[in-house]
Amino acid sequence: MASLQDLRRRIASVRNTRKITKALELVAGARLRRAQNRIEEMRPYADRMQELMVGTARAASSFRNLALLQQRDEVKRVALVVVTGDRGLAGPFNGQVLRRGFELEREARKEGQEVVWLAVGRKGASTLRFRRYELEGQWAGFADKPGYHDAQAVGHKAAELYESGEVDRVVLVYNRFESALVQRVTTTELLPIRQDVLASDESAEEKAGPSADFIYEPEPEEILQRLLPVYLETEIYRALLESAAAFLASQMTAMRNASKNAGELIDSLTLSLNRARQAEITQEILEVVAGADALTG
Amino acid sequence: MADHPLFPVSVVTPEGAAFEGDAEMLIVPGQAGEIGVLARHAPLVAMLKAGSTRVHLGDGEVREFATGPGFFQVLESRAIALVDDAVAAGEIDAARARKQLEDAQAELEKVEAGESTADRWQLEQRIRHAENQLEVSGAS
Repeated sequence: MASLQDLRRRIASVRNTRKITKALELVAGARLRRAQNRIEEMRPYADRMQELMVGTARAASSFRNLALLQQRDEVKRVALVVVTGDRGLAGPFNGQVLRRGFELEREARKEGQEVVWLAVGRKGASTLRFRRYELEGQWAGFADKPGYHDAQAVGHKAAELYESGEVDRVVLVYNRFESALVQRVTTTELLPIRQDVLASDESAEEKAGPSADFIYEPEPEEILQRLLPVYLETEIYRALLESAAAFLASQMTAMRNASKNAGELIDSLTLSLNRARQAEITQEILEVVAGADALTG
Repeated sequence: MADHPLFPVSVVTPEGAAFEGDAEMLIVPGQAGEIGVLARHAPLVAMLKAGSTRVHLGDGEVREFATGPGFFQVLESRAIALVDDAVAAGEIDAARARKQLEDAQAELEKVEAGESTADRWQLEQRIRHAENQLEVSGAS
């Protein structure tokens, strides 16, 4: 059995660890609320942008020849964009995104397609580099608090790979924030942009009213050409924000569990400590009694 | 200025609304020149370049924003400017603007070196947006 000294040292060390995990839990909780607000704040922009795109597409005479919309008959290379965090200590957050990425890679290879990687977040980049994958692009340093310009950088790279024909499909993998307890790995087709995002459902059509009397400046086709990259950026920005919130939620849960485990460990160590102390006292009493018996005997 | 009826105006960015409320007039930097919109303007969709967006609140009160490239929509007498960035004229952060300028210039250099085919027009607008902010804040 470990000595009293050892047990005391271990209890002190676990206590210190619990202090750290508790602090991290609180910090993640406070940041999570702000991250959720940012998701709320971008929603009006995204909704209006979508409406504008639908309206403009309806007014445009031909939009099917726009590069970002064109479906390629044969898919030879796929780009996977994986969104991870910059740090660990967040439970399965980083691992599960990468695992889905590797699954997609296997599927693509089975169909004879090549795969290139784009990594957002330090963790994903370092894992992929460790496995000797070549990265077409990587971004990091904003995983907690992404700005719109970060999404623009990723969007430009994705559009560039697609337009130049280097890849025929771009897929985004990220953790979607569903609630503080649930984060779901989500796969989104980024490029080509699905044509049905340009088609309005009937309710939207009624709301927008007759579209013919809009004045367009410049022509709707030209506006649409600029709108598509912005749509792409908005989708990526949304994913970055969701991923940031999911990271914090996941970290909060992981740290809460760690604090709980530390508490349990402290309890069981304290129990062993008490037992050991009592055993020692009993031993000493026995020795004293035995000694006294020997003298009187 | 003569009294004009008020109408709802918003300046929206992906990072939140910069302005939301009723105004007499909204002036935005359209691609072919400034566009001023009053209440009951005809439905309009336009592209915006980087520049200055001004909201006239009435009684001579004006709010000015340095805005990045984006789009402008007038619908059912509501004017909405969707821009990628908007900073109130009084709150320009020179350090942030300088960073935007450097980022955009670095990307533009890549385009010029043939390493990237990123949207050149947008990059130029972002540089312009950063320069506008620096000019207004007097830090350039």
